Amino acid sequence: MKIALCSSFVPFVYGGARNIVEWLESTLLAEGHQVERIYLPHVDTPERLFTQMAAYRWLDLDAADRVICFRPPAHVVPHPNKVLWFIHHIRAFYDLWDTPYRGFPADARHCNIRDALHDADTRALREARHVFTNSAVVSQRLRDYNGVNSEVLYPPIFAPQRFHCRGFNDEVVYICRVEHHKRQHLLVEAMRYTQTPVRLRLCGTSSRSDYVKELFALVNRYGLGKRVIIEHGWISEEQKVDYLAECLAAAYLPLDEDSYGYPSLEASHAGKPILTTSDAGGVLELVEHGRNGLVCNPRPEELAAALDQLYEDRHATERMGRAARDRLEELDINWARVLNRLLA
Amino acid sequence: MKVLVVNNMAPFLWGGAEELAAHLQRNLTEAGHQSEVLRIPFQWEPATRIPSQMLMVRSLELWNVDRVIALKFPAYLIRHPHKTLWLLHQYRQAYDLLESGQSNLPENEVGATIRNAIVAADGEAFKESRRIFVNSEVTRTRLKKFNRFDSEVLLPPLNDPELFTGGAGQGYVFAGGRINGMKRQHLLVEAMAKAPPLARLVVAGPPDTPDDARQLERLVEQHGLGDRVKLDLRFLPRSEYAAYLNAANAVAYLPYDEDSLGYVAMEAATAGKALISAHDSGGVLGLVRPGETGWVTEPDPEPLAQAMASACTDQTTAARLGAAARELWLRMGITWPRTIEKLLT
Repeated sequence: MKIALCSSFVPFVYGGARNIVEWLESTLLAEGHQVERIYLPHVDTPERLFTQMAAYRWLDLDAADRVICFRPPAHVVPHPNKVLWFIHHIRAFYDLWDTPYRGFPADARHCNIRDALHDADTRALREARHVFTNSAVVSQRLRDYNGVNSEVLYPPIFAPQRFHCRGFNDEVVYICRVEHHKRQHLLVEAMRYTQTPVRLRLCGTSSRSDYVKELFALVNRYGLGKRVIIEHGWISEEQKVDYLAECLAAAYLPLDEDSYGYPSLEASHAGKPILTTSDAGGVLELVEHGRNGLVCNPRPEELAAALDQLYEDRHATERMGRAARDRLEELDINWARVLNRLLA
Repeated sequence: MKVLVVNNMAPFLWGGAEELAAHLQRNLTEAGHQSEVLRIPFQWEPATRIPSQMLMVRSLELWNVDRVIALKFPAYLIRHPHKTLWLLHQYRQAYDLLESGQSNLPENEVGATIRNAIVAADGEAFKESRRIFVNSEVTRTRLKKFNRFDSEVLLPPLNDPELFTGGAGQGYVFAGGRINGMKRQHLLVEAMAKAPPLARLVVAGPPDTPDDARQLERLVEQHGLGDRVKLDLRFLPRSEYAAYLNAANAVAYLPYDEDSLGYVAMEAATAGKALISAHDSGGVLGLVRPGETGWVTEPDPEPLAQAMASACTDQTTAARLGAAARELWLRMGITWPRTIEKLLT
């Protein structure tokens, strides 16, 4: 089949929104399909939303048998065989409207833009043969804001068989972009209150050097240098596999994220429990407290208790690690299912 | 610097321009820049959808990009404060191909309106660009004639020059590259019917259509040339292609009015091979100087037969012309590091 994958992007910014597209591309190619990946730029400026939406609407992908669209406004692309794998709205006009993240006043002008956007989105969503999402959170929003039903199709990671478990050392690893909303700082603060020799390793690149500096400053202030390691910078996939194979557990505690996040999936494939927080959003679709990880309130003291528990009760930690793998099977997170559904 | 290469794509097709964009991106990265290629889909059929696709490109917003290097219509319509063009071609069906009756624009008011929109948009895009480079003298002349814009010729370098080491000629003329009516490999086969028995020809490359392949096969059969013409009609791995070229006495390349030097001619010159081309082959003639680096004839079997006979039988002359072709090519100094430097000035 000739399949076009269409999404929006910001040049030179790489991350989860590209992974879902490019991993699907590799998987489809391996299955013998012809695949064309189309990334067009997009900027979230309210004033320029509709001209950009028009641009996507003028795209001519008639040469494809099927078009799979990801990040908005790719969902407005016209095609008789359009399938959406919808990963988020333009959130400032949806769930972030009533939060400080909106970034512009809720005046009449912006209210009108919001209403027009909701209307255009709803129409584009209704054109699709089928709407899939990456999480129950996003599906719920489609129902609430657009009155559109969708099917959750959990995105797998690429080549998951790379991940394995070799044992359980004393280290909880957090391998993820180092950003304020991923809240590495909460874990560093938690390390002040731990009672056991449990250690913490933070790995990842950052778009903001001041946040990294803040983390280093916290480590110094509390004298945690021996028990907290910050590896700021890009680590190789091999290194990541190794850390996860050896670690005690993996942490992933973003603030109200839409989906479960690739870090928690990688940890599950490595047979390691996941430490997260009650306000982490989509992560809670994957992690059940006491079964395949620990869920606690986003307070340093409570995180510290959870870290200690992982260290002290090895038996439970190993059991939760095994359960993390089982949970993936239970949710049917794999590429065979993704292809089966997207090409149906 | 964050350099975005902006190019077209025809969905599910991969052509020379896409290859060039990919190599440009790779070489920008090697020169220490961050680089990505933005590929914007463009379908020119039906022609009535061209204007909306122009608007599409014009409506896109770029952010987090220091420089844009744009290559083709309509990709170069993209808005950016620091845009440099490396023009591979305009929409020729609104310009020279319209004049020669080879345009897909309808011959009515609608067609005229589309044409005017293309010319107006081109004018605006050229005006707002910091620099305009073109890939050939032909493109430069065309831009001057139709749009009245000056530009500088910046020839695309070879991507794998190390493959073309040259070597002793094994007594045949080689014709490589894509096979189609415009590239006129059929003239070479017809010429073989008129050339002396010592002349030999190897044609190797992917036919655009099954008909292009059949035409050559039929000519070989019709003239009984089976033992003197070898047809290897498929997409060849680069190493096999280079092996054919390195062992040839001369390389024949006579496309109709090509825009640029053409990779085939550049590869031949790199390998020190004499060139055979035609008077109407356009940009290719930048490397083929009659009596100096090769033979230039009328695009007819008779005179081509003579050139091919000389190439196959007079090793000394072929080698001398080939050496001169290589020298001419090296003097042009067309390398990736120099090209990147120019594009970012």
